Amino acid sequence: MEHQEYKELLAISALDALDGTDALHLEAHLKTCVECRGEIVELREAAGLLAHGAPMQAPSDDLRGRILSAARAEGRARPGEEWSNVTRISRPRKSGFGTQFARIAAVVLFVAITVVLISMLLVAQREITSLIAAVEAQKIELNREREARLQDQKALALLMSRDARTIQLAGTQTAQNARAMFVFDQKSGRAVLMTDGLPMTSTDKAYEVWFIPKGRSPMPGKVFTVDASGHAMITDQMPSEAMNGAVIAITVEPKSGSAAPTGAIYLASPAS
Amino acid sequence: MQAEPSKLSDNDLLKAIARGDEGALAGCYDRYRLILFSLILRILHDRHEAEDVLQEVFLQVWRRARDFDETRGRAFTWLVTIARSRALDRLRASGSRARIATEAEAAPRESMGDAAEDAVKSEEGEIVRRALAELPEEQRRTLFLAYFEGLTQTEIAARLGDPLGTVKTRMRSGLMKLRELLRDRSA
Repeated sequence: MEHQEYKELLAISALDALDGTDALHLEAHLKTCVECRGEIVELREAAGLLAHGAPMQAPSDDLRGRILSAARAEGRARPGEEWSNVTRISRPRKSGFGTQFARIAAVVLFVAITVVLISMLLVAQREITSLIAAVEAQKIELNREREARLQDQKALALLMSRDARTIQLAGTQTAQNARAMFVFDQKSGRAVLMTDGLPMTSTDKAYEVWFIPKGRSPMPGKVFTVDASGHAMITDQMPSEAMNGAVIAITVEPKSGSAAPTGAIYLASPAS
Repeated sequence: MQAEPSKLSDNDLLKAIARGDEGALAGCYDRYRLILFSLILRILHDRHEAEDVLQEVFLQVWRRARDFDETRGRAFTWLVTIARSRALDRLRASGSRARIATEAEAAPRESMGDAAEDAVKSEEGEIVRRALAELPEEQRRTLFLAYFEGLTQTEIAARLGDPLGTVKTRMRSGLMKLRELLRDRSA
């Protein structure tokens, strides 16, 4: 750009109306051109005159008081100060003992406040962490309850189904008080097992369901544990091979289950 | 003893404000409230907002009076620049530029009051208003769109449906005319 071209942008810049590449070029130019910088100041003075072009209006009377109160509230007023219109009054501040002490006190106070704030923050963080853990625990609990309800609903539907067949399981010598009911849908094989009176297993063991069709080796079903009252209700799937006249048994196994029965039999259906 | 604020020059008034003199701030308010409020209202077209902005402006003056450097321009320019900036900021912040000129424009001028206030409805103001009235319509319109609506050269060209070059020339010519006024007065 020629210098004359830059000069032609000054007035527009003085009105803050310059945009695009013009604005970028002029900005770069002004960094090095004193003449243009001077001229733009003059043009800004001229632009300021445009304020007189606004129709004259007065603000509400109460605004004056509000503004002065707000200014006072900012606390910079030093009323009654003497001054002259020739020179500014300057009061050099000497560093005396008083100021040193004030500075040290200010630093100490600052450090103390910081320490307090940081420890408050740490306490708050700990509380937040434990609150989050509590919420998570509640969520898990809620989910468990939901699952349980779902199981109940499925069981009910199954029991009401016209294609439902029920097999009763009786406790063996090992668990004479145990009983169980196995209800399954003959069409889909979906089943519900409800137990009662089974002792709680040790923590490393669990109960496992077995389907033993005629003349065949046992097929594994679900692995489950009972609650403190000896109850369990679980859903399972009856294998198609077991649909006609299989024996159903429940044994104790390692808690992750077994491929074939290894532990004592607690419940069994009558051999048909 | 404190001198009467109304007798001080603008520069001395700002210096006093910089020293925390509340009386000087009050004096500045009394002297400049009309021109600044009129400017802000012309930009915002809303009395309530204009009063908010006027308050912001004087608080800024209260805090930053020491920034005013009389070798870099007049106090008048410093003050109207602050007012225009704050008003345009508010205009842009509230999103819509489609404010219509309300009865604020058409309302009859409120009683201007005593002689101190008449100083603002000043000789300079009359001279400028006459000069603006004498400008060609398109030059005045271009200047007003830039000054009171904060539009850029491109936006003005789009608004008026004129070529960018034409808009630039008009802005330049119009502003040069105003600059002549200043030069004449200081001569």
